[in-house]
Amino acid sequence: MRNFLIKSKTIENVGILYPTGHLDAHSVEKFENEMIKMLDDNIVKIVVNCNELNYISSAGMGIIMGYLDEIREKGGDIKLSNVVDRVYEIFDLVGFTEIYEFVDSEEKAIEKFNNVS
Amino acid sequence: MFPETPELSVSIPAKTELLKMLVELTSYIAVRNFFSVSESRKIALAVDEAITNVIKHSYKESTDSEIKLDFFCSNEGIKIKIEFSGIPPELSETMVNLEKMIKAKKKGGLGVALIKRIMDSVKYSTIENTNYLEMIKWKKSS
Repeated sequence: MRNFLIKSKTIENVGILYPTGHLDAHSVEKFENEMIKMLDDNIVKIVVNCNELNYISSAGMGIIMGYLDEIREKGGDIKLSNVVDRVYEIFDLVGFTEIYEFVDSEEKAIEKFNNVS
Repeated sequence: MFPETPELSVSIPAKTELLKMLVELTSYIAVRNFFSVSESRKIALAVDEAITNVIKHSYKESTDSEIKLDFFCSNEGIKIKIEFSGIPPELSETMVNLEKMIKAKKKGGLGVALIKRIMDSVKYSTIENTNYLEMIKWKKSS
């Protein structure tokens, strides 16, 4: 069984990433490649739907952090949705909850992006 | 205090594909030692971060190197001792300034801060080219 999978789609110019499973230093490359693909396609409004993400280490958080400046410079942002408690606790430990917008649902995140533009 | 003999010792090759197994093992040992599930997950994350640092920075991803972990358990808490060779780790980061790191487009640098936030004591030493990283988490009541 694979420990980590990543899928993505685009709705109304908003890119949505679906990391699934265990995101650590071993699986982070897949996550980063998907993030880079979004940027290559000029998608800078990004929602990371964490509904199926059950673990994240600093390797995964580093990708969410490392591309944020470039994304914001291009007028975009990263929002996190559907974060389960056990993963939220980890984001909170490093202060991500103060920097990023966490929303309950993917739909709400898309709506927030569309209301800004 | 902790017993002199570890409850469990494991030696693993320095491969990131084994991180998930170590996270599950550490979490299991912590829960078995009466830490809450939430605390156990955090202790396991600290081990993940420590081993990732060893693989990436001390061994420069050379997979033929080895890492040894000793788990000591007592009524007061859990002590995890990690033994490895290679380049000694840099443990100076305690506080992180996320805004600055984002501006600098940094993808790394959160691991050590996480370890220090999760564990109550983090000590590093080098004896005859072998590095030791000792992390302790006390139970809340002690």
